Amino acid sequence: MVSIIALIQNENMKIYRRIGTIVMIGLLLLAVIATGIIQKYVIKENATDWRTAIQAETTNFKTNLEKNPNLPTALQRHYEKQIQINEYRLEHNVQPIENSTIPGFMNTTANLVSIITLFTVIVAAGSVASEFYWGTIKLLLIRPVTRSKILLAKYLSTIIFALLLLSILFLSSLLVGGILFGLENADVPYLAYVDGHVEEVSLVTHILTLYGYSGIELIMMATFAFMISAVFRSSSLAIGLTIFLLFTGVQVVQLLSKYSWAKFILFANTNLAVYQDGVPIVEGMTLSFSIGMLILYYLLFVSLAWGIFNKRDITA
Amino acid sequence: MEKEAIVQIQNLSKKIGDKTIIDHLTFDIYQGEVFGFLGPNGAGKTTTIRMLVGLMAITEGEVYINGVSLKKDFENAIKHVGGIVENPEMYKFLTGYQNLLHYARMVKGITKERINEVIQIVGLDKRIHDKVQTYSLGMRQRLGLAQAMLHSPKLLILDEPTNGLDPAGIRELRDYLRKIAREDNIAILVSSHLLSEMEQMCDRIGIIQHGKLIDVKMVDEFMEQQGELSVHFQIEANKNQKEITINDMSTITIMPNQKVVELRMQKEEIPDYTTQMVLAGVKIYGIRSTSTLEDRFLEVTGGNEIG
Ligand SMILES: Nc1ncnc2c1ncn2[C@@H]1O[C@H](COP(=O)(O)OP(=O)(O)O)[C@@H](O)[C@H]1O
Ligand SMILES: [Mg+2]
Repeated sequence: MVSIIALIQNENMKIYRRIGTIVMIGLLLLAVIATGIIQKYVIKENATDWRTAIQAETTNFKTNLEKNPNLPTALQRHYEKQIQINEYRLEHNVQPIENSTIPGFMNTTANLVSIITLFTVIVAAGSVASEFYWGTIKLLLIRPVTRSKILLAKYLSTIIFALLLLSILFLSSLLVGGILFGLENADVPYLAYVDGHVEEVSLVTHILTLYGYSGIELIMMATFAFMISAVFRSSSLAIGLTIFLLFTGVQVVQLLSKYSWAKFILFANTNLAVYQDGVPIVEGMTLSFSIGMLILYYLLFVSLAWGIFNKRDITA
Repeated sequence: MEKEAIVQIQNLSKKIGDKTIIDHLTFDIYQGEVFGFLGPNGAGKTTTIRMLVGLMAITEGEVYINGVSLKKDFENAIKHVGGIVENPEMYKFLTGYQNLLHYARMVKGITKERINEVIQIVGLDKRIHDKVQTYSLGMRQRLGLAQAMLHSPKLLILDEPTNGLDPAGIRELRDYLRKIAREDNIAILVSSHLLSEMEQMCDRIGIIQHGKLIDVKMVDEFMEQQGELSVHFQIEANKNQKEITINDMSTITIMPNQKVVELRMQKEEIPDYTTQMVLAGVKIYGIRSTSTLEDRFLEVTGGNEIG
């Protein structure tokens, strides 16, 4: 039996020997550097004492809560959480993370995971469809290797690509942040709101948690694009559909959030961070419900991709 | 030497929807022979080949390669097969060498030495580290052949391999295929819609039309089969019209200044025609009989259905 490693090497060769892939990695690095330069030289932080600012914010939130008892629950919960965190800061003398520090910078660049999601979707969408487009599928599938295994190698190499980009993002943020802002504030803790009380979390844990939450959405969308590509053999369809859903999915769920069945929509469940830091889109959702839904969707995508790819006649 | 069937095809059929594209094909291919799979466009050659290499599911029937059922044990059956289906499409952004490395990784036990050996055999050593997008069609064909030969298959399947080759390329391919069939005892299945190429390349020919196998014969047998020849005389006639009696059954009329006589006749009749024309004072500059498989092929498949 041919080892899966050899097949992944093949897929990697086909990913990284293409200009497009190198351009993606270059763009990611460029985005990190540009974010750093903007945060250091363009955005000016207000020079007031952080205690005064925080006190003003807390008072503001409190009057808002008292004056408007009919505020949406989500907003009420947000205010209450913020008030607790602010009070914790004053009490324990924990300064908020500023943008012009390395924790602040890494916090910001964690948003670039969405670019990685986009790039991974592009790679996932091309993985199977390109072989059909190039006609190389006819030489690929006449080897003593099952189709399942070839598809698995393609899928794994796509995931490896995502992990590589995530590592590049993390390391380059650390490097660029270190150079631009120094490492002085690296030990300022991040205040997380867990189960109704405030907890101090180290910077690395916090950033990795952020990556982890975005990574779940990344995996789901890449798997979706991969499935569309394997089923319909068209990378433009896979990219188009996935990105369309990525941009509209959450909004649609928000519009439908008053119906309880909306919680079964994939996008109601992709952002697990709400269970730590916010409020779920549809009332009554729980973390285990969302994880269960994600697993169900994942299994659906995977069985469609493998089921159809294994059976199909190759007429390309 | 006992001939051993490396491929056994039994009642192979393909239906797409309710259309029968391949209809109960049964034939064997033996070690060391070049088997020609001949038929007009749309006859079902590529579809048959796609089933033989596992690209399409078999609707009905069985294929055994080296005794192993393709349907039941794909991996063990297909490891004896190398092939090109239609054009040899390669990864253009990779070099020729990287393409070969890619396919080498998909079979156990292919060494670097074997890769280099195959590169030598197909004569690509000078350009193997260039990107495939810079290759000519002929070079891509060679690279296609190289990937098919990498794992020393027992059966080589080539779908219309002469497409896009110039006459020199075709001759070279023919010599190469004959050589590996003879020396390495490989069975080779080549498809084509051009008979003239097949008769020089193949030992046996199977004719397929509308998905059915019409006839399988040795090339020699094919050519010796009784049948009319088309004979072309290059002549110079005198000024007046002539009626020439050839034998009891036939006469021909030659017009003044006629330069060419083209007739269909049995092989045995050629001397009669020649003699009688000479006796009648017609000058003969050349005789060409164009009966090769081409005519047989058109007869068997019903003429101009090609296309
Ligand atoms: N995917 C398909 N669906 C329906 N008909 C097909 C399909 N592929 C091929 N055919 C038909 O099958 C017949 C055989 O085609 P093919 O095997 O390509 O012939 P050849 O290679 O001999 O030119 C043709 O009539 C073609 O129209
Ligand atoms: Mg064909």
